Amino acid sequence: MTRESEKYNKVLDLLRKSKPALDSTDDIERKVIKRISKVGHSGLNLSDIIDFLFGWVYIGWVRRSLIGASIVLVLVFAYQQTIILKRIDFLSRQTIVIDRENGPALSDEVEKMLTMYKNSWKRFPSKNITISEKQMKELLEAVNELQLKYKDLENLIEGDPELKKMIEKKMIENSRTKINL
Amino acid sequence: MIDIQLIEECRGGNFNNFRKLVELTSPFAYSVAFRMLGNEDQAKDVVQETMVTIWQKLKKIKSAEAYKTWLYRIVVNKSYDFMRKRKRNPEFVADEQTWRLISNRISEEPSAALENGETSKIIGILTERLSSKQKAVFVLSDLEGLSNDEVSEITGISKSAVKANLYHARKSISEKVEKYL
Repeated sequence: MTRESEKYNKVLDLLRKSKPALDSTDDIERKVIKRISKVGHSGLNLSDIIDFLFGWVYIGWVRRSLIGASIVLVLVFAYQQTIILKRIDFLSRQTIVIDRENGPALSDEVEKMLTMYKNSWKRFPSKNITISEKQMKELLEAVNELQLKYKDLENLIEGDPELKKMIEKKMIENSRTKINL
Repeated sequence: MIDIQLIEECRGGNFNNFRKLVELTSPFAYSVAFRMLGNEDQAKDVVQETMVTIWQKLKKIKSAEAYKTWLYRIVVNKSYDFMRKRKRNPEFVADEQTWRLISNRISEEPSAALENGETSKIIGILTERLSSKQKAVFVLSDLEGLSNDEVSEITGISKSAVKANLYHARKSISEKVEKYL
């Protein structure tokens, strides 16, 4: 037996021998009887209710589990918030493109004409022209029809040299008349 | 110590029988409470609270053996409550006078039993660095002489945890004894 454990055992023996003595149980008995007389044998007092409702908080493993669960919840909450903020940041940097429904394809020339038409509005802002969709369709149909007729006419002229010659002559005359004017 | 007959009679609501139960039980409860708290008034309060609780829950007691464990468990839990309340104001300060007293006492052959005041001082300074659980395990196991199984049942912690707590408590006390005596 080491000197250390010998000393420890002596202290322990001394403490075991010195059992705390309760001077008198009368005082405790009197106080206890007084208290239980007030409460009654089966009476339900406030401490019973509190014990019933919250007594579990004194159980060690329950307390530790609740602490653990609350830490996990806080961490999950913080993680979710970070994800949400990152997502918002990512979305705020995106360009929103709304793909409108494609209409009937227009030829290049018609596109040019429409551009000119639009520009003419800018040039003469006082003359606002409003046209409906139906009118726009009619216009486009008319332009297409005109183009077809023009091509037919071109083919007709190309196919008849005499007619071509005559038209060229007529055009030269017309241009002269314009210069004279 | 206690027979089931007496408990049965108390269940009937007879105050005189219960007075007898208090008289028989109080010294055991006081011993544990005093050794855990080191304060006579607080130990008496714990005994009083314990007896009131016992009266309120007498119906739950199935046997005399269970009563003993149950009594210790209530005392230990009530003592924890008191220790929790005064945690911020530790009462014991290890001074030279107290160490000289312990030294003198253990050098006496055979050593005489200590008075309550001396016991509280010695236990107080030896266990001041122990947790509530370690203190309870040390008091029940080394001072009250209960087995590990009984201590485990009373404190509600596993047997291995009882052993671990007891090991740490003994180590801490041994270090103090070695250092100061």
